[in-house]
Amino acid sequence: MIREENTDSGDLIQGTLEMLVLKALARGPLHGYAVAEWIHQTSQQLLKVEEGALYPALHRLELRGLLEARWGASENNRRAKFYQLTTEGKKRLNAESQRWARLSAAVAFVMQAT
Amino acid sequence: MIPTLNDFLLRLKSIFRKKRMDREMAEELAFHQMLLREKLLHQGVPQSQANAAVRKTFGNPQRWHERLRELWQFRSIENLTRDITFSLRLLKKSPGFTIIALLTITLGVGANTAVFSLLNSLLLRPLPVPHNDQLVVLGMEEGWPRLNYGFPEPFFRALESKHELFQQTFASFFVNKLLIRGRSVNENVPGILVSGDYFTALQTPPLMGRYLTPEDDRPGGSPEGLAAVISESFWSTWFSRSPNVIGGKLQIANTTFTVVGVMPKRFIGANPTENPEVFVPLSTEPIIDAPHNLTKSGFHAQWLVVIGRLQPGVSLEQVNAALKPMSMPIVRDTVSETDWITRMGKVHFHFVAEPGTRGFTYIRFFFRKPLVALFAMCGGILLLACLNLASLLMARGAARERELATRLAMGATRRRLVRQLLVESLLIAIVGTTLGLAVAPLASQSLAVMLMSGNARNGTYLDTSLDLRVLLFAAGVAIVATMLIGLIPALQATSGNLNEHMKEGQHANTTHKRKLLQPIMLASEVALALILVIGAGLLSTSLYRLFTSGAGFNPHGVVNIDLDIDKQPLNGDPLLHLYRQFGEAMSHQPGVASVSFARVVPLTHTVLESSYARQGGQMQDLYMNAVAPDYFKSMSIPLFEGRDFRWTDTTASGLKIILNQSAAKLFFPDRDPLGQHILRGSEKTDFEIVGVVGDAKYEDLRNAAPPACYEPIMQLDDKKPSLTAVIRTSGPTAPLAAAARSLAAQLAPEIPAPVMATMDSIVEGSLSAERVMALLSGFFAGCALLVTGIGLYGTLAYNTARRTSEIGIRMALGAQRAGVVALVFRANTFIAAVGTAVGLIVAILASRALASFLYETSPHDPWVMVISILSLSLIASAASLLPALRASRIEPITAIRCE
Repeated sequence: MIREENTDSGDLIQGTLEMLVLKALARGPLHGYAVAEWIHQTSQQLLKVEEGALYPALHRLELRGLLEARWGASENNRRAKFYQLTTEGKKRLNAESQRWARLSAAVAFVMQAT
Repeated sequence: MIPTLNDFLLRLKSIFRKKRMDREMAEELAFHQMLLREKLLHQGVPQSQANAAVRKTFGNPQRWHERLRELWQFRSIENLTRDITFSLRLLKKSPGFTIIALLTITLGVGANTAVFSLLNSLLLRPLPVPHNDQLVVLGMEEGWPRLNYGFPEPFFRALESKHELFQQTFASFFVNKLLIRGRSVNENVPGILVSGDYFTALQTPPLMGRYLTPEDDRPGGSPEGLAAVISESFWSTWFSRSPNVIGGKLQIANTTFTVVGVMPKRFIGANPTENPEVFVPLSTEPIIDAPHNLTKSGFHAQWLVVIGRLQPGVSLEQVNAALKPMSMPIVRDTVSETDWITRMGKVHFHFVAEPGTRGFTYIRFFFRKPLVALFAMCGGILLLACLNLASLLMARGAARERELATRLAMGATRRRLVRQLLVESLLIAIVGTTLGLAVAPLASQSLAVMLMSGNARNGTYLDTSLDLRVLLFAAGVAIVATMLIGLIPALQATSGNLNEHMKEGQHANTTHKRKLLQPIMLASEVALALILVIGAGLLSTSLYRLFTSGAGFNPHGVVNIDLDIDKQPLNGDPLLHLYRQFGEAMSHQPGVASVSFARVVPLTHTVLESSYARQGGQMQDLYMNAVAPDYFKSMSIPLFEGRDFRWTDTTASGLKIILNQSAAKLFFPDRDPLGQHILRGSEKTDFEIVGVVGDAKYEDLRNAAPPACYEPIMQLDDKKPSLTAVIRTSGPTAPLAAAARSLAAQLAPEIPAPVMATMDSIVEGSLSAERVMALLSGFFAGCALLVTGIGLYGTLAYNTARRTSEIGIRMALGAQRAGVVALVFRANTFIAAVGTAVGLIVAILASRALASFLYETSPHDPWVMVISILSLSLIASAASLLPALRASRIEPITAIRCE
């Protein structure tokens, strides 16, 4: 998942950021700011998504057909671009969560070894 | 797959909605920034700090856009446009190179496409009729090298009913001058006699009305009278596309025909080189040809082209197997002369069917070989053009090595560099081929006109319009040319280590590493050019010899006027009187030196033959012509002995004849022929020889002047001879045509306007294939020399430019200027010598293929070879001397300092 053309994705490696973005959108359409906020809040303020990484990731996912973008009204009635999972995106999220679960479990096993 | 497709579509969309995409990106970011600022303010951060924090998070908005936009764009397209603009700029910087490159490729592609479309229209294009693969052309095997395709009418009628083999069998005969009465006078219109099943077999429905049927093809026509079908263009010009044309009347050959149908424009009949406007039943031939009657001549007249449409499932082999046993019975049934039947039996006479998908035309026999030869030459010139461009591009690439190396060092990938080089070559190739394709139709049309000039009198033409096959061919040529031009320099650029060049640059310490490819390409250019030059030399020598071989008469200043006088009621002596009147009146026109008449105009492939014998001697078949007094004077044929004919040489005054020198020698090798007698034909008609004239060419210029006899028109058995006026004039010819027209209208209003042709044009027309070949090969040879010269010069100039500092150092160390000249000059000498040797060997081997086109010229003519090699060497030396001289003028100090 880690690609050569690694952009400045802050603390998160790209594949992980994309997985988190997909997860954030699993409950329904959100705009970019809300995605960043949701990840920030849900991670107990541990994960901070850089704007410089977030938007390229969103656009990349859109290009790959995992997300669909649509312009709509925000909570304060401003025009905003909302992202939404496609069927393809839901499938990918599923696969990514499973993979992550396996990977983190494996890492945990290793790290807990005495 | 789906993500990739989605990706592609979205990117594609973004190209067309660039502005909107940009706006949306900006809006999305602004929205985010606003929310961020609101959050900060909400947290109690002061306004100015919040703004600063937002700015810090987002940084330069330009860069943001860049990054997002990059995501959306096709990287390759972006780069491509950049490469194209860069290449265009480079090409613009060297206009000389660009123009030469474009011209060479235009020439190569244009010439090939033009000649191919000729080839296509004559040899390849199938007839535009349904199921044309079922058509077969019938011929007669009579023991000659070539089949006889001229069927006598009785043979055809016997075959017409063989429906077990053919769905239909039809015969046709093209009548170039069908006499049709217009508003006031008769006009000549190209027409065709067709048998009953002609239209049924060609399966093209009429535009209006009906087509001719077997009922129409009976003597006297169907009960409704004589029927005719007209073409769409005739309908337009003569009837202004009136819908009431069906049932309308036409006066054809002074007989009333009823128009029963109109054929659509796409219908051209079964001969791709004819364009009949009016179709009349074959049974009306005696009316159309009056006073002649080919139908009545039975098996003596061999005139019909016969084509059949096979029954479905019957193969060509089966037809041929079935035709063989039925041939002799048909001969026996229809031929009355037992001699003839026995002779046909001896040569195993039989009918033969050949594939007829492409219809039938005699023209193919004349032009197949010249066209194929021309096509081969075009292939050579295209190859030459590509080689030349490739080597120039290579040399250019080499001269730019340093620039390329610099770009490489600055971080450009090798792939990008090669791609840019390729784009540059492709640009030249694409623009050049497009130009070539644009000029091709014009070129092929003028070539067709030139080729057919000898046959224009017979009403034939070549349709060179573009079709799918020509377009495919052109596309193929374009692709091959582009590959050849683009690939070689690109390959070379990849093969070398560009980093090395960066280090080397123009440094003098580099030993000039010659790549093998470049000299090989240049040598092949030289070889190809030599082959083309030798070919052109041989063809032009042959043409020159044909023109100067002497026809035996002087064509300059001779004008022929076709009178078609058989279309009026007079015959016998009154007709002769009419001719005399016409001749008399014409002789008073300004500039006219003498006027005469002849049955046959020399060099028009028309032949009259009779058998003659000396008393007690063997009968010999000899060419003969019937002429009026003053014929020899008009044609400038010398009268060696005796006298010319006089108008008083009538049958009553005793039959007279004039022999040419060869005929005189043939019959009377031992004595003076004057006053001797010879006998003609089986009736042994006795003629007294009154004169001996010089030999003159008869059928065509390529054959030596044959023995021939001249009989006076006053003594012809034919009471209605169709004669051509032969006029020698020193003045302009145009007023003569007008005079002849008004005179004819006055003396014989029934005949169509007389057609005039100068003897010069007839001579030229009879050599049209040779002329086109000599002209084109000369043109190609010239281009080949020029292109090769440019190639040699360009490559050497680039290579020498790279050696500037080396030469500077040599000179600083004491090299003489002459030595420098020799040093540079030598580089090309070897290439030219090897190329010449190879070219000469190939030319000697290949020129045998030209032998059949050559007249009194050996395919290994030493003079042609020597002159060709000399001219090529001259060009090569000039091309090599220029860079050498320039190199010798190098100032050592500047050369070294420029590093």
